[in-house]
Amino acid sequence: MIEFKNVVKTYKNGTVALNGVNLQIEDGEFVFIVGQTGAGKTTIMKLLLREEKTTSGKILVDGIDLSKLSYFRVPYYRRRLGIVFQDFRLFREKTVYENVAFAMHAVGVPPKKIKKRVPALLNTVSLGDKSTCKPDELSGGEQQRVALARALANNPKIIIADEPTGNIDPKMSLEIMNLLVKINKLGKTVVVITHEKSLVDYYQQRVVTIDHGLVSEDKVGGMFE
Amino acid sequence: MKQYKPSYFIGQAFRGIWRNGVMSFASIAVLMSCLVVLGSFALLVMNINENLNDLGLMNEVMVFLEFDLTEEQIQNVEREIKSIPGVGDVERITADEGIRSMMEKAGENAYLYEDFLDDNPLSDSFRLTYVDGAKLIDIEYNLRHIGPEIRLVRDQRDLAATMQSLKNGIMLIFSWFLIVLFIVSVFVIINTVKLSVYSRKSEIIIMRYVGATGLFISLPFIIEGALIGLVASAISFLAENFLYGYIQTALADLTGIISIVPIETIRIPMLLAFIAVGVLTGIVGSTISLSKYTRE
Repeated sequence: MIEFKNVVKTYKNGTVALNGVNLQIEDGEFVFIVGQTGAGKTTIMKLLLREEKTTSGKILVDGIDLSKLSYFRVPYYRRRLGIVFQDFRLFREKTVYENVAFAMHAVGVPPKKIKKRVPALLNTVSLGDKSTCKPDELSGGEQQRVALARALANNPKIIIADEPTGNIDPKMSLEIMNLLVKINKLGKTVVVITHEKSLVDYYQQRVVTIDHGLVSEDKVGGMFE
Repeated sequence: MKQYKPSYFIGQAFRGIWRNGVMSFASIAVLMSCLVVLGSFALLVMNINENLNDLGLMNEVMVFLEFDLTEEQIQNVEREIKSIPGVGDVERITADEGIRSMMEKAGENAYLYEDFLDDNPLSDSFRLTYVDGAKLIDIEYNLRHIGPEIRLVRDQRDLAATMQSLKNGIMLIFSWFLIVLFIVSVFVIINTVKLSVYSRKSEIIIMRYVGATGLFISLPFIIEGALIGLVASAISFLAENFLYGYIQTALADLTGIISIVPIETIRIPMLLAFIAVGVLTGIVGSTISLSKYTRE
């Protein structure tokens, strides 16, 4: 479960990004976090990744208080999360297989297990036949699917996607969203940060709207107003 | 559960060096220059020390006897010396031992002394120590008045003072060089590794997001710095070895006047010192340049 308890985040330059956010996301939920540019969506993502610390308030992820998490525990905490970025963030010189395998290698998974799991992950995202391709040989949608496979590599409980369809065409966007829904049905909590109204409206999931650093609306089956 | 292969980290380190070839080369060159200068100073200090010891400067007085004394006369002198108040250890050095000691110090040029083994120009002598420098004048007075068997009493107070201040001066310069060159080397390595880190910035970010530990991310860069240090120290060692050998040969004619520490006895400590300084500089440089990128 993810809990934001009266979270305030003020950056060093004085910008108040979040001004008392309260939010609760249960295990296995699918949540859209929406809002205009500068509303505070990215700050929520940074706080969840523990890239930033709250100025005040608490964030609890599976009972872990992120403000009390020591520097050395941060990598271990991040292994509970699968992250998907708008710009894919793939290793350009590595193949699709290597990109996914690297996420496992980096956390010390034995090579045998990697060899077994990566093809299965690539099949989940329908890229089993592209394992030897490099990212530049793939379409935007395919690259995002590689990123999704990588996010799933270490079997995280939570998937956080930051504008996952921002760099791909509408048809591919639906594919990616369908995959995220499929992943959610596998029991993962999925948090999608986006400002794409049509997608949010189409999927009719829980929608949390952030406005001026506050939760202005929180509706299940909601629309992007 | 953790299965990290050392080959991965070493491979990544080599990739980093290769990718920033020019800067890696510059780092090696600068570090190498620093090590050669440092090594030269260290060797200079070591040789000054050696010569100071040879001159009997460490609270020692040399008493040279007349030639053709009988064993009984020599033993009488030894007894007299030992009875003088303030005298510490007394060591007899026979003429033969004197020559052999000179041959030992001459190293490869020992053959120059071979003729003297049969026709020894030295006389027996005593090396004696004293504890209280204030009593040296009395000790010397007593030594000179033992009898006609005493040819020469030598202490090196003036020379010792001069050599000591020279040694202190060189040590001061050496220390400053050590600090300045170490800082310069660390900065050059910081820049090289920074370039390497920068070119892999996006990889580092991905690694952080997938939950790689700071050690997993840093190790290739630290090894890269250490490798630069290792290569620089190996080249410096070869250069220093060649230079010292050259100087030793050039000064061979002065053997007997000044003694030079033979290269054979210092080769291994010198290599170890170079590797230690080189690798340490590399590791310190890498660690400093990484701190910003591995932070949370």
